[in-house]
Amino acid sequence: MARERQDIDYVSPLRRIGVGLLVLLCLGVFLLWRVDSPRVERVRAELVDAVVPRFEFVSLPVRRLGDMVSDFQSYQRLHQQNQDLRRELQQMKAWREAAVQLEQQNAKLLALNSVRLDPKLTSVSGVVIADSGSPFRQSVLINVGARDGIIDGWATMDGLGLVGRISGVGDNTARVLLLTDATSRIPVTIQPSGQRAMLTGDNTAAPVVGFLDDPSLVRPGDRVVSSGDGGLFPSGMLVGEVAQGADSRLRVRLAADYERLEFLRVLRSHAAQVIDDEGDLLIPPQPMPIPEALLPNDKDETAGASGDG
Amino acid sequence: MVDPVTARTWGYRSVFVALFAALALGRMMPSGGSTGGLPGPDLILALTFAWVLRRPGYVPAWLIVLLFLPLDLLTYQPPGLGALAVLLATEFLRARQDLARTLPLSMEWALVTAVLIVMVAGQQLVMALLFVERPPLGLDLVRALFTAAIYPLAVGATAYLCKVRRASPGEVDALGARL
Repeated sequence: MARERQDIDYVSPLRRIGVGLLVLLCLGVFLLWRVDSPRVERVRAELVDAVVPRFEFVSLPVRRLGDMVSDFQSYQRLHQQNQDLRRELQQMKAWREAAVQLEQQNAKLLALNSVRLDPKLTSVSGVVIADSGSPFRQSVLINVGARDGIIDGWATMDGLGLVGRISGVGDNTARVLLLTDATSRIPVTIQPSGQRAMLTGDNTAAPVVGFLDDPSLVRPGDRVVSSGDGGLFPSGMLVGEVAQGADSRLRVRLAADYERLEFLRVLRSHAAQVIDDEGDLLIPPQPMPIPEALLPNDKDETAGASGDG
Repeated sequence: MVDPVTARTWGYRSVFVALFAALALGRMMPSGGSTGGLPGPDLILALTFAWVLRRPGYVPAWLIVLLFLPLDLLTYQPPGLGALAVLLATEFLRARQDLARTLPLSMEWALVTAVLIVMVAGQQLVMALLFVERPPLGLDLVRALFTAAIYPLAVGATAYLCKVRRASPGEVDALGARL
């Protein structure tokens, strides 16, 4: 009887205090994250940075295995694929003709006004090393980070289209928040009509087009490119094409191949200039007023002005 | 010299850590195309519950926090919230371990299902109250139900592959106290 009471007296309250401390720890971390998110996110990035690159050797064989399985699955519908490819080839030939003509035209036009493409838009390439791991967050980790000059908010693309933006940078890794994530919002332009819209991820493969000015001007099949609104992304990067979802909302079929994200290009964007002062725009900067004494006579001044012109 | 009971406890703890790491790694593999479709079951959670209900000593509370807090951070979820939910759920199950020992598997299964659903409800509530971006409620619940559906498999694997079974009536821990 006495022994039993002794057991309970020592072990159980101590354990309860310990569990209470653990609860407080978890709660503290959560509330700290809620209050001061950037600092905890930095800790998160550092943890990912320390852990994930070590497992790259595992992710490579797994990826190969996955590719092999999907390749094998594609054998099962060989015949159908063959037909599809023939049909596509036929279409491509038509497109090729158009492209060749356009290329010649483009070359002529470029030569005419000798355009220099934006030299600031250079890129850093990275390899996808891990997935987000949670079914409700759509993000991937790539093996370039602060060491390579990556900065939060930069746009990321695969070979063809926009994939997402950098959200969280460690020293050797960076997290790319995909366009399909529920927290992803980017401003886009819908090409032929020039309508501005917001592309909103909702955890499905095709993000929703929202905040459209006039939905009747937008048709499925229209090209969607990023608009530079808000200075977030460089403008004019291909995002995908408009498609009507099963729920009759307008969605975007993404140009980037989300099934096989392997190599990503992070575009170095530069802070957009913000115009906050209207005077400088309308009136060019004035020269310093010249003291009266130094002014030559009227005749000389008009001569100088005509010489300038 | 380490006495055999302590050695076995720590051995099983390291087995748990290894299983946890393997499952977490599997979850983080670049699989691609996880959008759309239904979310898969949470194997880690099912495994943890099965172990806690069998041998609470192998999965102490500090180990749970030590494992689940970094998992929250690595998997890009609100840090601490998931760990807190798992900690509270396992403490609840741990306190009812004597009860669960006498229950058949079907009742244990129902208990775990209820705990999983309450966990989802609690987390969603906290996230809604603090205006945190939260996963869709329906999918979150479906995930909990999938986890509940594979729970018997986790129990089977725990009992037959890892040989983690409930303590028999006469067993004692390292200090000689009854389990």
